[in-house]
Amino acid sequence: MTDRYFLWMAFVFYVGASALTLWRLRSERSQSWLHHINVILIVVGFLMQLVGLILRGQNLHRCPLTNPFEVTVFIVWALVLFYLVIGPSYRVSFLGAFTAPVVTLILLTGLLTASDAPHALVLKHSPWVEFHAGIGILACGAFALAFVVAAMDLVQNRQLKSHHPSPTFRLLPAVEQLGVIGVRLLMLGFILLTVGMIGGVISDKLVEAWPWQKVAWAWTTWWVYAALLAARTIGNWRGQKASVATMAAFIFLLTAYWGTSWLAR
Amino acid sequence: MNLVIIGLNHCSAPVAVRERVAFPRAQLGAATCELLSAAPVTEVAILSTCNRVEIYALAAAAGQAALALRRYLHSYHKLTEPIDVHLYERHNRDCIAHLLNVVCGLDSMVLGETEILGQVKDAYAAAQTAGATGAALNRLFQKAFAAAKHIRSTTAITRGSTSVANVAVELAEKIFRDLTQSTVMVIGTGAMSEATAKALRSRGAGSILVCGRDRERSGALAGQLGGRAIHYDDWPVEFPKVDIVISATASPHPIVTREKLIPLMKERHQRPLFLIDIGVPRDIETACDELENVYVYNMDDMQQIAKENLAAREREITICRELIAERVARLAEWLEERYK
Repeated sequence: MTDRYFLWMAFVFYVGASALTLWRLRSERSQSWLHHINVILIVVGFLMQLVGLILRGQNLHRCPLTNPFEVTVFIVWALVLFYLVIGPSYRVSFLGAFTAPVVTLILLTGLLTASDAPHALVLKHSPWVEFHAGIGILACGAFALAFVVAAMDLVQNRQLKSHHPSPTFRLLPAVEQLGVIGVRLLMLGFILLTVGMIGGVISDKLVEAWPWQKVAWAWTTWWVYAALLAARTIGNWRGQKASVATMAAFIFLLTAYWGTSWLAR
Repeated sequence: MNLVIIGLNHCSAPVAVRERVAFPRAQLGAATCELLSAAPVTEVAILSTCNRVEIYALAAAAGQAALALRRYLHSYHKLTEPIDVHLYERHNRDCIAHLLNVVCGLDSMVLGETEILGQVKDAYAAAQTAGATGAALNRLFQKAFAAAKHIRSTTAITRGSTSVANVAVELAEKIFRDLTQSTVMVIGTGAMSEATAKALRSRGAGSILVCGRDRERSGALAGQLGGRAIHYDDWPVEFPKVDIVISATASPHPIVTREKLIPLMKERHQRPLFLIDIGVPRDIETACDELENVYVYNMDDMQQIAKENLAAREREITICRELIAERVARLAEWLEERYK
């Protein structure tokens, strides 16, 4: 069985979790056993993805982060990892339910559109390069979960502003709580991104120079998230404005990555 | 053996009758013991709340037992006028169905309310402690509690608040992370603002400031709510520290305007602000709702939500009755089997 087979299997489980989410939202079900099924589907998907990544890593004899397809799959995996590790500590109802559709969508985009051809500019195999890429991907996972939380915040905020909230609003957490979690995830992601960037600078000096497109993308992303974090903490950005900015920053991160990867080919 | 129930509730009797036959909680145990010897029953439990008084019993002869229970109710409360016209009587299958409807809140004044389950549990515990329950009532009550739990979790019968005060609390809980950290300001002391502030307090609202032109009245309300009274002219000074405002003044013009709020929101670092406008004419300018992180709800909004929630609960009645019917059939079968 190939790594792609496991990735498609993971996709099927994530689709199952997303379908369950839609059904729960439609039928306004919040029972704990439904939440457990949701978590089980996501965990199985996560493990399938892990097997897929390990098989690919064995074939490549390195961390599978050599082309846009692999990076996209890794970002999805990191997002689920953050959800599974960090999610329970916040006890946010419906976080898994909102994570599943985002994971499904990004993974499907990766499976269908992202280039899986060996990259023309694959860098030398070095622990510094892998450290930089690995930590960077983890940062993307934290930003992706911040995107999910921002989406929940946006939905809940709109419900409250509508003056006639639908029953869905009872299933979602308080806007203030979502705001706090969003900022914490952005901080965590930013710290990881900064550490990854330091690794990138060191590998650039010690191993091999990075393509300029990648360097530009990395620094732009760093500045975008620095500005966003400053706005949300020092500038007191909250509510709809903060949610939209957080979501836009992650969409920028993904699209800019795919764009620069295409340019660097 | 037969299950029998004699009782009255908010539909069958006015409050003047209900209050005369209510059993004080502390006397429930003694009364059940007394009933065991006063009436031809083998098991008995008394449920007494502000909206209902009901006696559940197991007896060999249902008719005789019901008559004795009626007499006991009259003699225990020393009633001079008969209340039989207000009493209802149910036997066996109907008795089981009645209890299940009661515990699920289908027979309550506020459809789907959950307080009744706790009250029935207390009544059962008192009867059990007094040694007045046996196999039949134990099974009946335990199965009723399980049914209530199942129906609550699988239907929307308890979902959403049906009173304006509770709708305000529900909204506040979806805005703020922790109500215990929130400060509430009540501007103007009316019955509705008092009820809303009490509902917030009961859900743990941190501190409460009461502000009104009548110092004595605002002081009394602040005392009741465990809060602090402030002078009406001082509310803008305290406003930046406040998270929830309940405004119910008789002012002919809005007292909270968009222009006033913009600098105040800056001062409070754009923390969410929940403005509950109970005043007529309205106290809070509509344009305030356009500001980010400011949530303005007036009486009409909250009444509409309460009405929609009630309608949603009413739509669930049929499903609940179907679920109850299944359980009634099973319990009735068990009862017949055991005592045939």
